[in-house]
Amino acid sequence: MSHYNREGLFNPAYHDSGTLEIDRSSSRKSDHYNPYDRDTEPWQRGVADWAPPEALPPYNEQGRYPWDSREENWRPTDNMAMDLLPQQNDSLRWQHNHGSVNYGYQTDSAVDYITAPQEQQAPWTPHMGETLRQRGTRKMSLFPGGGVALGRLGMTEEDVRDEIESGEQDLVKELFAMSSRDQIQAIRVLQMSLQNKRDIRRQVLACKSSKRGLKLTCLTDCTDQVSRSFRRFGANLVSVRQAMTLWRGTMKEIGGKFGTGVLSYFVFLKWLLMFNIFSFLVNFGFITVPQLVQLPNITDQMDFKGLELLTGAGYFNQTVLYYGGYSNETIGTQPTYDMQLAYFFTIAAYLVLCGFSLIYSMARSFQKNFVLSASGNAWCLLCSWDFSVTNEKAIRQRKNNLRIQLKESLSEKSQGDHMTMSEKFKQFGIHLGTWLISTGLAVASCTAIYFLCLDYLEAINNSESQDFSSLLKQASTLLLPFVVSLINLVIPLLYSLLNKIEKYSNPRTQIYVIILSVIGTKCLPSLGVPEFDIARNVLDLIYAQTLAWIGIYFSPLLPALQMIKLFITFYLKKVSLYQNCQPPRRSGRAAQMQTIFIALLFFPSFVGAMSMVAYTVWSLKPSKDCGPFQGLSTTFEAVALWMERLNIQNLPESMWAVWIYNNMIKSELFFYLISLIILVLIYFFWQVTQGRKLLISILREQIINEGKDKAFLLGKLQKLQKAKQTTASSQPAYTQMPQSYDRIQEIEPDYEQSLPSMPRTAEATGPNGPPITSALIQAMLARRQAEEDEEEGY
Amino acid sequence: MGNKQTIFTDEQLDAYQDCTFFTRKEILRLHGRYHELAPHLVPMDYTDEPDVKLPLALIVNMPELNENPFRNRIVESFSEDGLGNLSFNDFVDMFSVLSEMAPRELKAIYAFKIYDFNTDNYLCKEDLEKTLNKLTREELTAEEVNLVCEKAIEEADLDGDNKLSFADFENMITRAPDFLSTFHIRI
Repeated sequence: MSHYNREGLFNPAYHDSGTLEIDRSSSRKSDHYNPYDRDTEPWQRGVADWAPPEALPPYNEQGRYPWDSREENWRPTDNMAMDLLPQQNDSLRWQHNHGSVNYGYQTDSAVDYITAPQEQQAPWTPHMGETLRQRGTRKMSLFPGGGVALGRLGMTEEDVRDEIESGEQDLVKELFAMSSRDQIQAIRVLQMSLQNKRDIRRQVLACKSSKRGLKLTCLTDCTDQVSRSFRRFGANLVSVRQAMTLWRGTMKEIGGKFGTGVLSYFVFLKWLLMFNIFSFLVNFGFITVPQLVQLPNITDQMDFKGLELLTGAGYFNQTVLYYGGYSNETIGTQPTYDMQLAYFFTIAAYLVLCGFSLIYSMARSFQKNFVLSASGNAWCLLCSWDFSVTNEKAIRQRKNNLRIQLKESLSEKSQGDHMTMSEKFKQFGIHLGTWLISTGLAVASCTAIYFLCLDYLEAINNSESQDFSSLLKQASTLLLPFVVSLINLVIPLLYSLLNKIEKYSNPRTQIYVIILSVIGTKCLPSLGVPEFDIARNVLDLIYAQTLAWIGIYFSPLLPALQMIKLFITFYLKKVSLYQNCQPPRRSGRAAQMQTIFIALLFFPSFVGAMSMVAYTVWSLKPSKDCGPFQGLSTTFEAVALWMERLNIQNLPESMWAVWIYNNMIKSELFFYLISLIILVLIYFFWQVTQGRKLLISILREQIINEGKDKAFLLGKLQKLQKAKQTTASSQPAYTQMPQSYDRIQEIEPDYEQSLPSMPRTAEATGPNGPPITSALIQAMLARRQAEEDEEEGY
Repeated sequence: MGNKQTIFTDEQLDAYQDCTFFTRKEILRLHGRYHELAPHLVPMDYTDEPDVKLPLALIVNMPELNENPFRNRIVESFSEDGLGNLSFNDFVDMFSVLSEMAPRELKAIYAFKIYDFNTDNYLCKEDLEKTLNKLTREELTAEEVNLVCEKAIEEADLDGDNKLSFADFENMITRAPDFLSTFHIRI
């Protein structure tokens, strides 16, 4: 890619070129602004007689010139008037456009104009979107002030148009050099009006076709058509796939009506559903299907009674739904399929995959959403409003909530400073008390269930000798789940009562606390219409998924059940949401909540489940009579036996497996090494993070310093301008000239000295270039003017 | 592919598809929406690129914009003349930027324009005050409004000039990961 000269700003040669652009086009010295030229259009002379009222620099009350309060407006936002790009014969429209735009300050447009070629000098960077975007907006910013300023710059309309066109041509050239997919993406992110984008695109396509014009036309036509139809086909595919996305319409509705916070729950639900679909397919494919091919000999088959659907036991016990329905045989003759190993490795591989994908999602989500999160008034004001909500009631509600939030934050700030020691103690005491109570409740319920289990097992053992009907026995298995569910219902209510006692001021801390102590922020009915309780519902989901993971070892097809359950839950929750709930009070931070959900899913839930399964596999003795691991002392022994068999066979191609087994899985050294490496990596990344934090604070200081420099320079300019004004009347020849030139001329020597305070390193940053102050620009203008004057003087 | 439509030529549809974040079907649907805002003004046949603009008053009555506190500013920011008169191109452009596929940078630029009530390329205190009034239905006292705006500028202003330039705004946006999903209007 071509690299433009970045040093133009400080390059003396730059000032010599008449149009202040890069010295690639022909010199335009003849087009200098000549104040004595009677033939130029009035707008070119740019004096007050033509300028529309808003174009005149009004004094504001402090008596300062406006331009010193409008420093850097070269940024891409200068495209208020979207279509300032003049069409072919449309100069009138172009002139008219400026009037309706509030860019009345000639120096600003000078800024814009001169910065335009400056930006052209930005070298091509990989982040093409930004460069192109700046190019695009540069065109817009070329003439916000219309003819007034440009007249003062000495630009004729033709110059201006040429400048635009050359800018456009550069853009087209860059686009042309990209692949077509990149082209489309680049055009889409340009910040111009749609009309201009289409023009650019047309030019790029014209370039392309002219380039290929030398080749056979019909062949190129064909290839064009083919590629175009392929692209259309691709776009159609995308829209079809979009339409087929599960629940897309419903989620849109929910998001529109209740906001992104509530939507995050449903997104999480859908994500869990996909997870379970994947696990079901894996388990079904590798374990169940081979087993179905050769069903094991089942003894003691029970009849199907209706109760099985509730208890899940009984008839189902001996089917493939359960561990017991699998045999330890080897299926098939050649090649053989060992059910033992298949069962073990499938479950192991599935759990490991789950773990990795959770870690990956968590990391990615954290990276995206957990940057130093903005909060506070600025965020509330500018970033928190949800544009997608269209329901009138919802909007009214949100406005109320925002108002309450702002009021609370205002009062917080005034209050937080004035909390006395005793108040602090009191609050601390309340927190401590409620923590103790909630932990006590949790522990109590755990022990209760534990003892119940013990009693229950005893009862079962005792009752075996008696003659209980099997139906009652099965029904009694329901007792435990019933008790657990009851506890699950009652305890959270108690927790929310506790929650009302302690009032955490920060809503986010509140949510964290609540989640951590397994309670929900359920609005008690006495307060009116409930809100959708995001925290509680998400915890329910996580809890269910934890159970599924624990159970997967014993019932490989449990994901299927989980899938059905999630499916039903989605519709149930949706109906409940629409009927009962109102939009949430606080504008949620959906992105961060998503991260927290996944983190919660990973850390207590998945890790806990995996440890339990690992413990079972490693230490517990599998059932003697049924299941794939009958007769072994631990499940893991299956692998050990297999390795021995391989060892004995001594086939060269399987020795690597034996080696891995012996040296990596059985030896502790390997695990120590891995832990060590991970710790080192963690330390390394932590240090990198610290370094970056330091860098951020340094850069912030730099920005503040630059702001101060800017203010200083402009103050100086103003002073000198005033000084110049008093002497200006003594030089009639210069009265027609805009004061900016004089001003700059005077301070020019000063400018050189004050220049070093502007960090030049800022120039070296990426396409988000340095803030080019009007001071610098005016300095350049002055220099040019000084040179002109010199010439005239000779 | 499928039924022939005569609203746009294939080339036009390709152009729209390449320049916006919409598919052909969505563009045709957008044209339908545009047409139903003023059936007598908007021709069904756009093959010759008629120069038709709909005034602000018609556009802000769309159900997607009707209740939005910033509806006037949104439409003005996308209009060529700054007064809210949208041609079909501007109309499509508006919904394209506000769709979920537009990148963050593009959205930040237009969000800045929307909040910049006096179009001076800065979010000065008056701009923030007007924003706040639109967001709270003017139920805060003048002093509270003043306080909130001052604190907002204090928080977000990086270079110390007492107003928010685009750089400040963009910096704040990067620290608000929800921005992409909240600055989004479905159509």
